Amino acid sequence: MAAKPKLMRDVLIQEFYARARKDPRLLFISADLGAESLDTFRADLPRQFIHPGICEQNMIDVAAGLASAGKTVFTYAMASFITARCYEQLKVALGAMNKPVTVVSVGVGLGYDDAGPTHYTTEDIACLRALPNIEVWTPCDEESTREITIECCERPAFRYLRLERPGLPNVYQGNFRSAMGAGFCEVAPGGDVLILSSGYMLHRALAVREQLRMEGLEVTVTDLFRIKPLASRDLAAYASRFSHVITLEEQCLAGGFGSAVAEALVDQGVAKPMLRLGLPDRYFFENGGRGHVLEKSGLGVSTLAQRITEFTAPAARSRNRLPSVPQSVSF
Amino acid sequence: MPKKATPSTARPRATTPASDTPPAPSAELLRELTGKSHWLRRELFQMVMATKKGHIPSSFSCTELLVSLYYGGFLRHRKGEPHDPSRDRLIVSKGHAAMALYPILADIGFVPPGELANFTRKDALLRMYADPSIPGIDAISGSLGHGLGIASGMCLAAKQDGRDQRAFVVLGDSECYEGSVWESAYFAAHQGLDNLVAIVDRNGLAIMGRTEELCRIGSLEEKFRSFGWESLSIDGHSYGEILPALGRLGRTGGKPLAIIANTVKGKGISFMENRSEWHNRMPNEAEQRQAWLDLETNTIAN
Repeated sequence: MAAKPKLMRDVLIQEFYARARKDPRLLFISADLGAESLDTFRADLPRQFIHPGICEQNMIDVAAGLASAGKTVFTYAMASFITARCYEQLKVALGAMNKPVTVVSVGVGLGYDDAGPTHYTTEDIACLRALPNIEVWTPCDEESTREITIECCERPAFRYLRLERPGLPNVYQGNFRSAMGAGFCEVAPGGDVLILSSGYMLHRALAVREQLRMEGLEVTVTDLFRIKPLASRDLAAYASRFSHVITLEEQCLAGGFGSAVAEALVDQGVAKPMLRLGLPDRYFFENGGRGHVLEKSGLGVSTLAQRITEFTAPAARSRNRLPSVPQSVSF
Repeated sequence: MPKKATPSTARPRATTPASDTPPAPSAELLRELTGKSHWLRRELFQMVMATKKGHIPSSFSCTELLVSLYYGGFLRHRKGEPHDPSRDRLIVSKGHAAMALYPILADIGFVPPGELANFTRKDALLRMYADPSIPGIDAISGSLGHGLGIASGMCLAAKQDGRDQRAFVVLGDSECYEGSVWESAYFAAHQGLDNLVAIVDRNGLAIMGRTEELCRIGSLEEKFRSFGWESLSIDGHSYGEILPALGRLGRTGGKPLAIIANTVKGKGISFMENRSEWHNRMPNEAEQRQAWLDLETNTIAN
């Protein structure tokens, strides 16, 4: 039986810690979000750990000041609070001044199970990718988390790093580093239908692929882990090899992951039947946890398989040959 | 013409032993700085009149504060070396007045003097709100409530590195409505950033009126003190009070220093003084003549 996956935050903090021990310029700021690995860090390197209080705005401004003085800074908090709460600080202090700070968010999407709209972060891709100078990365397993962390330590830039709250099973087998430059990587080859996803939903895409395979439909699953800067030309060239392009995200459809892909394809003149699968345009108050909310949103594995089957069915194909207008489904 | 300066409401607190008080400024320095006040206001007025863009009243309320920092020996720098990493830092966080730095930056060889006439012109170096692409500007401004946090980061980095570097932040009193200012205030106190100075330009006016009528601010001196800062109030147009207040730097027992500078928005141009409607307005020709007359004859009491 496979070992329980490590929490992404522990992977990141342990990697950062190993480097911080050798380099006092590495500083870690947490707005009151802990981790087991962070306790070790705080105890061993107290001068390199900063707790600003539950103060995301000040945390980002302070990070900008520290980065101005040559420090390599990671800021760390729950996804919901390190994005929308301090959006203006991200824009002004890090974006407009282009400060090389890594903004680490934990629990993107519906990651904070049962917590409701205050903790769900379903708009961070749309909001953050709108900022010039930012890079937006979403790891999907331990290896990708580690490699992206190393990149952030060794080549600091204004990066937004979207961590899952739980640990996720391994996707990469030592091949993530070589894929980093491209920004996307085919993780499960298949037929003519392409599913692009990232993070938590990449695993759901892989589950959907298994189900579809049992039903006789082969699909390819590709991890688009860097949504900004998006390798538009390469992505469009890659997508043009498929008959259908499907995006799967745990984000609002307005301006999110699928929007970014659609923009890239349109800008590169690639017209493909496209289906953007994501969350409906509402807040989520219902109890029952992440899986339940996804089911209710039409993003359960069986429902997704059914939607993809319908979308790619021969009957739909003639319709889909019409000049491409990205298709979204609302509930 | 009437020139009613806001009276100084408080004096530096005599809470420290006499031996620890900074030396009094010399008469010669006071004369030199007074001359700089006149020079800077005239430069700024010309700069704004050239393109009819910029904010005179916000700049004129902190003129003596900025002159004190650069010419009073507090903001340590080397002429012509804006990129010297050991230079002390200054963030004019009340961004409307960041333009007030431009003539000074030209004077100390950080930006070409010819750029002053191009202020806000197409593709020119000097913009309405300053940012670090302008040599000598240490942080972007234009959005309130960022400067104190950014400066706190700079001061913390200097302390960690064992560098004798300090940072000054000029805040507007209305800027202190922003909650992020107070997030930074207790961060700086907790971190013991005694190399950080916040100077609040307490001109009492927001764009839409008087702060105490719009949404009461009360005593900023007490607020900063309660956050763990060394805090004092002065007349922000009096070099005799500004210089000793800045001289408290390094004598605060490990605390950051807050100087509440009571000022007059529009100080130096009689019809603009204490009038919020001038925040965004440009004088007509007759008003410009009057303004010039005021700037030629105006004396700032010391």
